Amino acid sequence: MMQEEAYIGENTTQESKIRKSTIQESIIQESTIQENTRQWNDFRSLNLDLDIRKYGKNLKRFNRGGLFLFTFFLILALIPALFAPYSPTERFIPYEAPSTAHLLGTNDIGNDILSELVYGARISMMVGFASACISTLIGLMIGLLSGYFRGTLDELLMGFTDVVLIIPKIPLIIILGAFLRPSIWILILVLGLLSWESIARIVRSKTLQIREAGYVKSARCMGFSPFHIMVSDIFPNLVHVLLPKFMLATASAMISEASLSFLGLGDISMKSWGIMLSFAFSRGGFIREMWWWYLPPGVCITLCVMSIALIGFGFEGREKEKRGVDAE
Amino acid sequence: MSLKAENLSKTYGSGLLGKGKCIFRDVSFELEPGQTCGLMGPSGEGKSTLGRIIAGLESPTAGTIHFKDSPLSGMKKAEYATFRRRVQMMFQDPTDAFNPRKRIEHSISEVLKLLDTPGTERIRRTKEMLKTIGLPEEVLARYPAQLSGGQLQRLALGRILLLEPEYIVLDEPTSALDVSVQAQILHLLKKVQAEQGIGYLLISHDEAVVRFMSGKMGMLENGKLKVFE
Repeated sequence: MMQEEAYIGENTTQESKIRKSTIQESIIQESTIQENTRQWNDFRSLNLDLDIRKYGKNLKRFNRGGLFLFTFFLILALIPALFAPYSPTERFIPYEAPSTAHLLGTNDIGNDILSELVYGARISMMVGFASACISTLIGLMIGLLSGYFRGTLDELLMGFTDVVLIIPKIPLIIILGAFLRPSIWILILVLGLLSWESIARIVRSKTLQIREAGYVKSARCMGFSPFHIMVSDIFPNLVHVLLPKFMLATASAMISEASLSFLGLGDISMKSWGIMLSFAFSRGGFIREMWWWYLPPGVCITLCVMSIALIGFGFEGREKEKRGVDAE
Repeated sequence: MSLKAENLSKTYGSGLLGKGKCIFRDVSFELEPGQTCGLMGPSGEGKSTLGRIIAGLESPTAGTIHFKDSPLSGMKKAEYATFRRRVQMMFQDPTDAFNPRKRIEHSISEVLKLLDTPGTERIRRTKEMLKTIGLPEEVLARYPAQLSGGQLQRLALGRILLLEPEYIVLDEPTSALDVSVQAQILHLLKKVQAEQGIGYLLISHDEAVVRFMSGKMGMLENGKLKVFE
């Protein structure tokens, strides 16, 4: 600023007058810019918390958001009749645009899309949770056994885990889907049976660690059975690593279910969000640009998976905060 | 009636690929009831490993352990169960001596359940045990994280005493505690020994502790055990 003024002083008066006015303008402009930046910074620090040091606080907030969203979807899944305006099988005029009667329009066979969406929550979440339960259970048992007994059993089980780990999941499920009759139970079983490896590995490493703790050693010394030690000493201390893993397994199972259903391997009689997407694709929803048909299930899958993942991260974060160690 | 170790050797990491590292070789000694045997030596010389082998938590690469004149490796199930109760081990770190997710009460009644003690008897024995180790009954309702190191180490000893052991391997029982608490624990150990005639194998790197506690003293160095009276 000073330099510019000094430069102006050397010029003719007329020019300098013009210059002065422009400078004043630019000063005003600059001050407004500064003011804006300051306001933006204030806003950012107050509302967005981009500061990395406040990561933990943010996580808690996101976690709460996740919990809220998840509760919402859970209620949808548990009592869909409360939210759905019609039965999902009731038929109206097909291919209708959103209106007050049908908030999200109707699909190719005249089903109300909003009702389908609400009822789909139950199926999508059931697939997610059921297969996560299976995979967590298998992972827990294999991890506990190989971590506790070590030696040959450990090597055998971990070798088996590695073999399962390198099986390409989605292609295998596609092949299975081609041979088996498409059914939601088979989908749950296959997803559950093929996604326990990372859980098994984490449980094993944690078990190896806990096994060396004094209370496990003294329990062994006092003659408690291995089963008793695993159930009452090791398992309670594993829960905090298992819970976030369970949530993430649920989220990834829901994604897998959606993608498999989209590929046409789902159970048509049980309309999940993935199957809705699949129908929107194959029955002309995308070509007709009926966004109210294909967008809502996509958004629901994303939000639901996100809420579950956020809860999982929240568990991990809380454990880190409490114990000052990485949950894994 | 003694616990005898004969020609114990331990090698770690031996397998198909290498010969492994020999920790100690041909270690023999005997523990008598009512007496303390001190075991000293530099860090990493296998004192704790030897302790775990004596307590039957690990198996030696070579050699045998005799409990009441029968070898540990050839024991029948019932015999092994008595050995399991009569020979106990107490560990260095009191903070992880109890399951952090369970109340002390649970950890203690668990042991009494293992011994098939009936309900009313359980309460009486727990109270008796608390009197022996000199702690109030309030500690039962606490979680391990709510108790001090000294209290936890007392409780650890008390829980072991419920099993009525004949021998206890003490793996550095006081090195995680501060000096005044150390003295309390050592006095408690002596008192219990005088009352119940338990034989101790005291592993420590603190010569003062070993001298205070024991008549016999062993030094584990370079894989060999030297015994001083």
